[in-house]
This record gives sequence, C-alpha cells and structure tokens, in this order.
Amino acid sequence: MSVRDEERLGGDPSDLELVHAGRSGDDSALGELVKRHHAAAYRVAVSLVNEDDVAQDVVQDAFIKAFRALGGFRGDASFRTWLLTITANEARGALRRSSRRKETALEDAGPVQSEAMGPAQAAVVSQEAGRARAMLERLPEKQRLSVSLRIEEGLSFKEIGEVIGSSEGAARVNYFHGIRRLRELME
Amino acid sequence: MNNEACGTVRELIPDFVGGRLAATDVGVVERHVPDCAECAAELALARVVLASRLAPPPQLLERLLRSVESVRTQPARTWWGISAAAIAALALGIGISSDPAAQIPVDVPGYAYEVEEGDIWLSDDGLVAGAPLFDGLSDDALLQLLDELSGGSA
Repeated sequence: MSVRDEERLGGDPSDLELVHAGRSGDDSALGELVKRHHAAAYRVAVSLVNEDDVAQDVVQDAFIKAFRALGGFRGDASFRTWLLTITANEARGALRRSSRRKETALEDAGPVQSEAMGPAQAAVVSQEAGRARAMLERLPEKQRLSVSLRIEEGLSFKEIGEVIGSSEGAARVNYFHGIRRLRELME
Repeated sequence: MNNEACGTVRELIPDFVGGRLAATDVGVVERHVPDCAECAAELALARVVLASRLAPPPQLLERLLRSVESVRTQPARTWWGISAAAIAALALGIGISSDPAAQIPVDVPGYAYEVEEGDIWLSDDGLVAGAPLFDGLSDDALLQLLDELSGGSA
C-alpha cells in the first residue's frame, strides 16, 4: 500500500478540499493546487512535446482549462489524475498543431533528487540519470508515459490508464514493457 | 528467483524508490532484493529513472500563479449561463406572469430578448446557444416546465 501525496497529514487540506474552496472563489486554494501539481504536469508535457517553452504553454493552458471546468469536476478521479489527463490532451493538441517534434531544449530544467542515498550510490545514479532520460525518450509514447507516471509521479496503473487513454491492464503492460526495453537500452 | 515474490516486489519498486510505501511493504522489498539479481537490477533502474526526473523551470510557478488570477478576471460562460438565456427567452415567449426580475439571473444577455423559438446563435465564447423548441413536448412536460419557470406555483 502506498502513501499518496494527496492524503496529506498534519492538517493540510486535501486536493478535494482545495477544489471546493477554489469553486467558492478562494484563489489561494487554486494557487495551492498549482504549487502541488505543476511539476508533475510539466513533466508530462515535456515527455510529450519534448520542448521546454511549448511544455510551459501546455501546462498553463491545462491549469486554466481545469480551473474553468472546476464546477464539473466530480471527484471520480483524483484532481491530479484529472489535471494530468488534461495536460496530456493539451500536449497532444500542441503536437498536432506544430506537426513536429524538436530536439530537447531544456536548459532551465534539471534533474531532482528524491530518495535518500549514500554519496557513492548517489554519484552512480546521477551519472546514469542523463542517459536514462535520453533512453526514456526512445520508448513509444505510452510506454514512456507509463514508466514516468508510475515511477516519477507514483500514479497507480488505473490512474495511468486514465491519463494515457487505455485500460488499467494496458497501462500495466505498457509499464513493464517499457521497463524491460529501458533495461535493454541501458545495458 | 521466486516468480511470485518477484512479481510482488516489482509492483512495489516504484513506490519504494519514491518513498511512498508503507513500512510493512518496505520490509518486503528490502528482504527480497539482496537475494534476487533481477529485482535488484530493476530497483537500480527505477532509482536512475527517478533521479532523471526533471524539475520545472523556476519561472513557471510564478507564471501559473498569475494565470490563476486571469481565470478569475475572465470567467468563461458556463452551461447554466446559457440555460439561463434560453429559459429567459422561453419565459418571455410564453408570457409567464411572475416577476422576471426575481426569477431570472442577472447575467442573462440582452440578445435573449430578440430570439425566436427555435433560433440558434453562436455565443461570444463560441458555444451554440438558442431558444428551445416546444414541438414534440408532451402536455405533462410543458406543465412541468411552466411549474419550474413560475417557481412552483403553476
């Protein structure tokens, strides 16, 4: 059983509570939702459009669409899954409009560390991280997103299925195929 | 290598490296991995993938927070706004005698007063709106509509 981000401890409001507050006109609640989820939305956008400035536009459009449609958010999925689905759709729309994919231009973006590791292990992982990112880009879209959303964002396979537009089972298959392919590419 | 145990651990690895796993499951992974080269390799890969995670550019958050304000200052027309327009046209067209000022929301657009039954138009947000048709509505449906429009007094 995993401990989900939205199951906040220490009195922090849940995403759903922030959504309700945002609907009532509380801009600070919307701001808090932005702070919590903009990084994940950015990573999904970059993963699809592969270009920093386009990804930023996509994330902004996704948040605006989500907040304008907040009245229709029923809470069937988590806010994060809903937002990431909107982001993925926006990114695909941006791709269709541009009809091209450019080489990565992500000067301002950089890797972040998450798990506590010893210095030696951290050094090895850091050395490999750039290569892993490049190899990830070579996976088919659904495998790439499934691996990223599962490992980087901690989404369940059901949630990943909602974002990539497939069933829970297909998301699981895409993830494990992606992991296997990534291991082959990294060897 | 134990297929069943490996299957369980491989499901847990993403949440293990992300620090999202409950303590009991952390133990499951930690006990299994030292004796399983396959799962150890997959755990190492997951660590590398997580370490490669991109951080958004610092200016993005500020930009997004500004855009939250624009959402508030430029509200989109919602379905109930369009419904209000249609209901207003309907109410005027069939001569409801109750006080319209008390019944109709204040954001009903002026053009609602000029449309004919069945007309459609493109509203300023690109949505198709219009006055409803009565053809095909049963007497019961019309009575229910009248009842709703007159606040339940019909």
